[in-house]
Amino acid sequence: MNRYRKSKKAQIELTFNWIYILIAGAVIMLFFVGIVVKQKTVSEEKLSGEVVRILESILAGAGVSEKTKNPIYMGGLADYTFYFECENEVSNFGIKGKPAKAENSIDPVFAPKEIKTTKMLLWSLPYKLPFKVMDFLIVSSSNNKYYLVGNDADFVEEFMNLTDGFNREYLFNLDEISAKGESLQVRVIDVDGTNVPAKGIPEALINFDDDKVSAIVFTGKSQVDFYQKKGSSWSKLNKNPVRIISIGGERDAAKYAAIFSGDDQTYQCNMKKAFKRLTILTEVYGGEGIGQLEIGGKLKEIVDYYQERPELSLSNDCLNQLTVYDNNVMNLLGDLKSTASACELDEDSCVELMNIANDLKKVNNDLRLNCIKLY
Amino acid sequence: MNKKGQIRMSETIAVLFIFFVLILFGLVFYSKYQTVALKEKQEELLANRAIETTLRTLFLPELICSDGETEPEDNCFDMLKLRLLNETLQRNLDDYYFELFSYAKIEVQEVYPGNATYLLYDKPKPNFKSRESTYFVITLRDELIGKGEASNSFGYVKVGVYS
Repeated sequence: MNRYRKSKKAQIELTFNWIYILIAGAVIMLFFVGIVVKQKTVSEEKLSGEVVRILESILAGAGVSEKTKNPIYMGGLADYTFYFECENEVSNFGIKGKPAKAENSIDPVFAPKEIKTTKMLLWSLPYKLPFKVMDFLIVSSSNNKYYLVGNDADFVEEFMNLTDGFNREYLFNLDEISAKGESLQVRVIDVDGTNVPAKGIPEALINFDDDKVSAIVFTGKSQVDFYQKKGSSWSKLNKNPVRIISIGGERDAAKYAAIFSGDDQTYQCNMKKAFKRLTILTEVYGGEGIGQLEIGGKLKEIVDYYQERPELSLSNDCLNQLTVYDNNVMNLLGDLKSTASACELDEDSCVELMNIANDLKKVNNDLRLNCIKLY
Repeated sequence: MNKKGQIRMSETIAVLFIFFVLILFGLVFYSKYQTVALKEKQEELLANRAIETTLRTLFLPELICSDGETEPEDNCFDMLKLRLLNETLQRNLDDYYFELFSYAKIEVQEVYPGNATYLLYDKPKPNFKSRESTYFVITLRDELIGKGEASNSFGYVKVGVYS
């Protein structure tokens, strides 16, 4: 009887031990699984943060060195989709679906909305109005295809020469497009406004996702419209024509920036950064009070120099060009500052910047002949 | 039976003690490793920031020598802009230049023929621990000194970033 009772107790103890081991084992295993899952998430976030930081450094380096083109081979990052946005004069970029992102309210970056590629292309172009304001960084990739159509032969030739290394092609007719590929993004550049939207979406692009086909159309000398594919037709993105604020010439940074921008909103958002810098630069050249015609900065140094040396044969003429003639440096710098400040708030004011900048460029060219130049 | 139970209990306590000692040892080792790794990372980031800030300074349109439409001259600062630049940078420090240079000190030192020092930007980090400095040789161009031609002097730009 005693033996029987003892055996039953042992049986219960044995079963209890196994259940205990099972529960303890499961808890320990769950603990380690939890650590692994957490660690995996942390590592992925850390990696995306590191990638964004490195890319930020690369963009900063590429952005400051003028007129350089840098290909970035993405290697293991080719599977990631990078996004570029700009809102309220703050641009940000990061990896889609990951929390890490870099924000920047100083450097303008003109890029497609999204890039997924094996080779990213960076191109830096100086923006001058009329003196150098800053470098524009243009970002593209081997997966972004640019089709150039239209009859502006000079610009087409310039574009094809300057964008060597980019995935671009000139077509006589929009129907010649033969784009293929899942990851390809297509941008049609209509240089004279005769193809888009009039001729509709080319046959080869009909099956592309809407967000992968876009167009930019030059409707005037310094005016563009942005379009996006919507089914089998083009949908205009901008309500009002987008003005290209530049003094023209070759390598027109503002024009190229528009071509490589995702849409009108990101283009204008990034351009505002340039206008902010322009306002500050007018202070460097003309002083803080140049808007009220109180000279300072570099202009004051030059004016003081000539005023202290009336014996110099050209002093009078130089002073006249700096502060007296109708189109003098002081007035033009003052106008440039007031207009640049207004342009930051109201886009319509920006157009006037082009006339002022062109006038200042002429005066500076005159000064360069015999006087100390402004820039 | 009672004694056997006591021995088993002591055994369990000993095993648990060793187990926790090992966990504690692991935690101490991990935290030490993390501290060292974090310090190394901070140093790497600081060095990167120093290079980036120097690069930004060297190509700053507010300083660079220009000649009309031609390309700006590399590693050359225009003295007519440089002399009064500090005022402009100070005025726009918080709303603009801080994002460009962050916590840093930027100075230009003339070496030959003069030895003037120009402080362009200084924003020390509160309670900063160290400052990583980088130097870059530059030309200083002054159009008011030369007779007809601009006069060039030599110097260096010193960019220190606070950590």
